[in-house]
Parts: sequence; structure tokens; C-alpha cells
Amino acid sequence: MNGSAQDRVILLVEDNPDDQALAIRALKRHHIGNEIVIAHDGVEALDYLYGTGAYADRDIKIKPTVVLLDLKLPRIDGLEVLRRIREHDLTKLLPVVVLTTSSEEQDLLKSYSLGCNSYIRKPVDFLQFSEAIRQLGMYWLLMNEPPPV
Amino acid sequence: MNQELLAKLRNCCRDEAAFEELQQALVHEIHPLRQEVQQANFQVERQKALFHVITRLREPIDLDTIFRATAAEVRQLLGADRVGMFRFYPDSGWDDGEFVSEDVDPDFSSAIAQKVHDHCFGEQFAVHYEQGRVQNVADIYNAGLSDCHIQILSQFQVRANLVVPLLQGRNLWGLLCIHQCRAPRQWQDTEIEFVQQIAEHLAVALHHAELLAELRAEVVERQQAQQRAQEFNQGLQQAIIELKAVNKELEAFSYSVSHDLRAPLRSIDGFSQALLEDCLEQLDATGQDYLRRIRAATQRMGQLIDDLLTLSRVTRSDLRKESVDLSRLASRICIHLQQLYPERPVEFEIQPHLFVHGDARLLQVVLDNLLNNAWKFTTGQTQARIEFGATEAENGTPVYFVRDNGVGFDMVFVNKLFKPFQRLHRMQEFPGNGIGLATVQRIIHRHGGQVWAEGDLNQGATFSFTLAAEEFSP
Repeated sequence: MNGSAQDRVILLVEDNPDDQALAIRALKRHHIGNEIVIAHDGVEALDYLYGTGAYADRDIKIKPTVVLLDLKLPRIDGLEVLRRIREHDLTKLLPVVVLTTSSEEQDLLKSYSLGCNSYIRKPVDFLQFSEAIRQLGMYWLLMNEPPPV
Repeated sequence: MNQELLAKLRNCCRDEAAFEELQQALVHEIHPLRQEVQQANFQVERQKALFHVITRLREPIDLDTIFRATAAEVRQLLGADRVGMFRFYPDSGWDDGEFVSEDVDPDFSSAIAQKVHDHCFGEQFAVHYEQGRVQNVADIYNAGLSDCHIQILSQFQVRANLVVPLLQGRNLWGLLCIHQCRAPRQWQDTEIEFVQQIAEHLAVALHHAELLAELRAEVVERQQAQQRAQEFNQGLQQAIIELKAVNKELEAFSYSVSHDLRAPLRSIDGFSQALLEDCLEQLDATGQDYLRRIRAATQRMGQLIDDLLTLSRVTRSDLRKESVDLSRLASRICIHLQQLYPERPVEFEIQPHLFVHGDARLLQVVLDNLLNNAWKFTTGQTQARIEFGATEAENGTPVYFVRDNGVGFDMVFVNKLFKPFQRLHRMQEFPGNGIGLATVQRIIHRHGGQVWAEGDLNQGATFSFTLAAEEFSP
């Protein structure tokens, strides 16, 4: 088991600092006090998950409860990150929520084909965005039973 | 007469005078017999020659070969010095031509390819030849021929000649000429008749050649048409490739719009809201109002981007046609509108079971826009009424329509309706960005149909559309 709901880590893969700030603000607004790890691009996200690069010392047995994944990222893009997560034995069951600006059919199709658990389009209206984050936190952190380790 | 036979007869008749008489009588009897035999032989040879000519006509050989072989046979049979096929140049008015084929005694020169110009022939003789005239001259110097005619004939060493027309259909194509060069010659009726028959058979060959030429021309024409079609097709393929490239670019552009233009809007909206939440006390009412305006404008811009993306998606997405129940689509949209705004009493009338063949998602966008417009422009109407149904055009094509009794519009501006960003009302009256009807028009055009609007100020509006002629009822 991953411990109590508060101990669960959220991995936010997002390169836009504004979006990072807004996502964190939205989480805080709804009193979701979990640790939020921010990866600024695909490489950092994979480093965190597999204990490489800057995260070489990390205990990779501790997995995030949910990955909030943007698609448009520098270096390695979100779809590629998703593909590697699903390929890797360690992370193939990890809940991944695509959180992106795009509502292009091709992105939806590719994301679901690669096995994302949910796809959320970030609304322009912050109040709507905030509500989406609240529901997301409620669902993935409180209601959803994570896959067994 | 046979000398042996004469000796036997002399022995039988001891009287010399009687023998003389007998001999006279026999000669008198035998001479015509001999002539008849000769004639019969000629007839046989003539039949053989004709048979050869006819047989050759049945074979798929070219005109040149037919002419050459026929000339040789005719010359041999008649014992003539030259047999030639003379051809008039087309459109020369029968004044000019040349020998295109011949068979000639080696003692005389060839007439092939020597151009002949006779300025009086076309005018004086062509008509007669066309009707089957035969020229039969035993001696060109004693036949009352004109000087120029004699000059032309002597050019080919002709002393006697027999000329019959070669007809192609009813047109005088050329002449079949039999020349006797070494001496004058009296042409026999049977010989003339024979040459006429040959000419008639050659006319068949000419007719075949004409048909063949027509056929070849047609084949060439078809090949050219095919070539043109192929070139056109290649051009089209190229255009498709270019169009695909443009489409790809457009897709990339839309993708980047979808991502990059919206992201700053989220920041503007998000941090404006953060200011309203975190720094409310530091802002007076005006400051708060400004922030709300910023947020409203940001959200409008977000909507605008979304609508533009829909418009561009409508253009580039593939059509997936299936049977679509427009009535059901319309009902669902109306129910949804009524649920969103339960305070507005609107009367809906939807004709049931209107099935079409089209892209369900795109047709949903069409009805969404038209019904939302109807809903919007009947705001403030005490007895709002929205109708969806179908009528039939004069040619039997179904015409679908959305009709409302709202504010309508002035028909003067009807052309502006379907252009993107064109609006007929102020934002405060009726919100919108002027993209909806442009999107509707694109979808209808992609379905091969037409869309148009009719209305009057304060008298409501009717938006009608057709789809490609494949509609069917299940």
C-alpha cells in the first residue's frame, strides 16, 4: 500500500510555469495538501519515475499516485513519456491523467491508444480549471484504489 | 492453217480447183472459230484476273500492295506498256495529281511521283469521270485532243490510252490509266469492260482504305484524348499532393493555435482570478470591475479560438457518411437548450423521422448552430416558437429548415450572414462571434448541398439547407 492519502505524491509534468502555479493554486484551493513533484519536461519526468539523472538517489519503489501529464513538452513530449510509462514493468499500471490544452482528435486518440487513464482539457476559465482539478484530486487521491505494488 | 492438214486435203482432192474451193470454205469457217476461241481464252484470263483482284481485296493488305499487284496483272492480261493509278491531290479541284502506283514495261520510263498539272481537267472532265466516263483513245495524235492534253500524255510516251475513273464513294479519287506506248492501239469492248470492272473493285479497296483511315484517325483521337485525360489526371494528382501538403500545414497551424494561443489566456484569466481572490481588499470597485472585464474578454477569446478551430476542423476532417436521423439530433439539442434555460418558455415543433445520409458529427454542428441561433434570437419574444422540418424543392430535393419567430434580419444584409466574423447585432443585444453560420455553410458545402436564409426585421428567420442527392429513408 502507498500509505495514507496525504502521503501520496502527485507528479505534475508541466513546462509552463504559469500553468504550474495555477495548478498548484487550484490544488491548494481545494485543500489537497499532497506533495506535488514538478517535472519541467519529459526527461525529468522519466528521471523521476526510474531514478535516473537528477533523481539517481531516489527510491523508485515510491511511486506517484497519479501523473498529471501535459502533452506539449520540451525534449521528450508527453505522448512519448506515456508510451514509456506503459512499456516499463515498474510503471505500466500507474494512473496517468493527460492534462493538456489540446482537444485535437489525434491527441485524444493517441493518448487513449497509449493507455492514459483520463484526458482533461484545461479550460481557459480558471474557475472551471479549478473545479476540474478539485474533481481530479477527489477522484484519484481519495476515491480511486491504486493498483497493487 | 495447219500445213499437214492441207497436204492431206490436197491428196484427197485430185482436182486443184476443188481443193482451192475447199480451202476457202474451211478458212471462212475456221477464222471466226479461232476468234471465238481467242475471245473465250481472254474471258477466262479476265475472270482469273478479276478473281485475283477480288481475293486480294478480302485480305488485310494495304492499298499500295493491292495497286501494285493489280497493275501487274492488268498489264500482263492486256499486253499494255503501262498500267498506272493516278491520284488527284485532295482539294486541288482535280487539276493536279500524280501516279501513285504503276506497272510498266522496262522499255519505258516510270511515271511514278511525276506531278501532273492540267488546268482544264478539273473544269471540263472531272464531272464526267465522276459519272463513270471512260476515255478510250487509239492514237493520241488522231483523236482531236487538245495540245496541252497531248503534251501531258507524250510526257509519258503514251500513244494510245484507256482511262477509267477510280471512285472513292461518290468522289473522284483518281484514274486507272492503261497506256500503250510503242504503237497506237484499238481497244476492244471486252478490254474496256474488263478495265471498268477492275476499277469498280479498286473502288471497294479505296472505300476500305477510307474507312481504315477514319478508324485510325479515331484511334489517334482517342489516344490523344486518353493522353490528355492522363495529363489532366497527373495535374490533378499533383494538385492533390499540394493540397495535402497545405492541409498538413494547416493542421500543424491549428494544432499550434490550439495549444499556444490558449495557454496565455489561461494565465491571464487565472491570475486575474487570483488577484480577485487574494487582493480583494486592495482593489476598489473599479479595479475589481476591470479585472472582471479582463476575465470576460479572455474567456471570449478562448471561445473564439475554439470556434475557429471547429471551423478549420470542419474543413479538413474526413467525411464519414452514414444514415443520420436529423429529427432526433434536433430534438436532443432542443431538450438540452430547454434544460439550460428552463425559465424561457419556447414552443418547439420538430418534424419526426427526417433521415439523411451524412456525417453525423458535422450535421450535429449544423443543427447546434442553427437551433442555438434560433434560441438566441427569440430571446425576449413572449411566444417564442422554433420549428425544424423539411419541404421539397421543385426538382424533388428535400429542403430542411430551421424557422423561428425572433428578431429576424434585414434581407439587405443576407450576404453577410455566412461570412466569418460578420455580425448583424451588437454584442450587448445578442452575444456571438460570427463564426457559427460560416461553419454551417462549410459543412453543408462539404456535403454537396446549399444553405440560404430568409428573414425580415422582427418577423423571424428561416435557415434552409439541402444535402447531396443521396438522401434516403430507411
